[in-house]
Amino acid sequence: MSSRCLTLGTIVVVALLVMSGCSRPIVKQPGPGGQGFVGTQTGGPFGEGDLQVVQANLKPIYFEYDSFTLNPEAQAAAQYNLEIIRRAPQFNIVAEGHCDERGTSEYNLALGDRRARAVVEYMSTLGIPPSKCSTVSYGSELPVDPGHNEDAWAKNRRVYLRVSR
Amino acid sequence: MDAIISLLLLGIFFNPVQIKAEPPKIILDVDKPLLTKIPVAVPDFLSAAPGPVSGRDLAEIIRRDLYLTAIFQIVDPTPPISTSANGEPDFDRWNQAGVQVLILGSFQTMGDELTLEVRLYDVALKKLEIGKRYSGKIRDHRRMIHRFADRVMEKLTSVPGCFSTKIAFVGDSQSREVFSMDFDGHNPAQLTRNGSINLSPDWSPDGRNIVFTSYMNGNPDALAMDLSNLSLRAVSSRPGLNASPRYSPDSNSIALSMSFNGLPKLFIVTPQGNIIKRLTEGRGNDISPAWSPDGSAIAYVSDQAGTPQIYIVPTGGGQPRRLTFNGNYNTDPDWSPRGDLLAFTTRIEGRFQICTIRTDGTDLRVLTKTGSNQDPTWSPDGRFIAFMSERDGRRRIYIMDARGEIQVPVSPITGKCPAWSRHSW
Repeated sequence: MSSRCLTLGTIVVVALLVMSGCSRPIVKQPGPGGQGFVGTQTGGPFGEGDLQVVQANLKPIYFEYDSFTLNPEAQAAAQYNLEIIRRAPQFNIVAEGHCDERGTSEYNLALGDRRARAVVEYMSTLGIPPSKCSTVSYGSELPVDPGHNEDAWAKNRRVYLRVSR
Repeated sequence: MDAIISLLLLGIFFNPVQIKAEPPKIILDVDKPLLTKIPVAVPDFLSAAPGPVSGRDLAEIIRRDLYLTAIFQIVDPTPPISTSANGEPDFDRWNQAGVQVLILGSFQTMGDELTLEVRLYDVALKKLEIGKRYSGKIRDHRRMIHRFADRVMEKLTSVPGCFSTKIAFVGDSQSREVFSMDFDGHNPAQLTRNGSINLSPDWSPDGRNIVFTSYMNGNPDALAMDLSNLSLRAVSSRPGLNASPRYSPDSNSIALSMSFNGLPKLFIVTPQGNIIKRLTEGRGNDISPAWSPDGSAIAYVSDQAGTPQIYIVPTGGGQPRRLTFNGNYNTDPDWSPRGDLLAFTTRIEGRFQICTIRTDGTDLRVLTKTGSNQDPTWSPDGRFIAFMSERDGRRRIYIMDARGEIQVPVSPITGKCPAWSRHSW
């Protein structure tokens, strides 16, 4: 029971972050991105008004340093997201590619682009039509953790799936 | 200037590499260390009456300009050698103090107007080499002095100085706006105010426009700004990356990396964004083009071999060749104005450092050692490299002479992605 309350609280916070992010979509991040989980993975389809719920349930997909290939953990996260996206065919997905702060801004743009593209390609092999997905690279410009250590870098090397109508 | 030239000859002569085939015209070689720096004295400028600017501040501008080149030794004789606004300097006393080059200035102010007279003397020859008079607003005093320092470098090295040029960069705060500043960090000006992420500014060769990548419309688009009125127009807003735009040396085209049909690849487009040609193929991410000074080739970064390395491709058609083989991270090439060197960023033991390499892949030199350093950009005279350094804990723009001897921070705020103008103001 207490864990369900916590989960609901997380959803509210994430939803608020998403809403506050909408006013300045470029600079603000739409929250740390859904570790919370609503319903079961095999639940029914999401409704038209469930965009923020879907958003809150998607997990970031993390990458290793200098890499744009999906390791087993990244593939598992992508498959988890896939199940949710399948239940929300009315929404489109923007895969946002990010890098940690190390390295040059321009090469990190290319690396982030490649990471986002790798996620879209992986999901397309599992049945999500590429026409539903687009990509945008933010390089190392939008760290989710501003720290300068391995913990922060690991969190920042990610593809974040943003849901849109 | 024969005495000074013979001193330079002496320095070059002792360098065994340079003994053969020395060209008759003496040009200070920025790649070769001089054994002796040229002793120069710049006493405080003289004024008949105290005013809103001091003679010490005016002289200090030119002293710092010359110091930063790493080819001068600034001499300040004690006791001071007196100078007068008119008449010849006491060459014998300056000579005894070891001074080879003497720069004397005088000035007067009236309201907000400043009149400057500056002279360059060859002490050994007891000869006036340059005499200039500048009039203008007091607020433009730095520009007047820099202009004279440009002439001093031209007289001594056959290549005008770059002290009247500017550096564009991107602020490294929450939003990444584009700024410009004088080469030494003075007169900073904010150019964009879109509250978004802006990256990779580059100057048009005439200094009238800046291209950059901006997320202001949600996608990384290539935009151009007209600096006369700060108006913006899109160069390319194709889906995906429109990254790292760079003007060609003749201003007629822009090289950039675009990913609208898959991987980021290099293209050359018109200033209006129409594709002239695609430059690269293959399996890699290709980004960060750098034009050779004659426009015949472009250096760039590709990870087609698994790690980011620097390649060179002819713009007229032909296969790319790989330039760098050291280490597993080489990015951000910038081609020296004389065409013989590339500066770039390399990763050494987890940190990033500025290097130079000859265009045939030989003579790799690491110029920075402290902290992490990246984004090198050459000054138009080839004498300096600007770059971003985190050595004092925050990102700032630094400049150094082309051998890395003198490295100083210049940007008054945090910043990255510096781009040195070709144009002088």
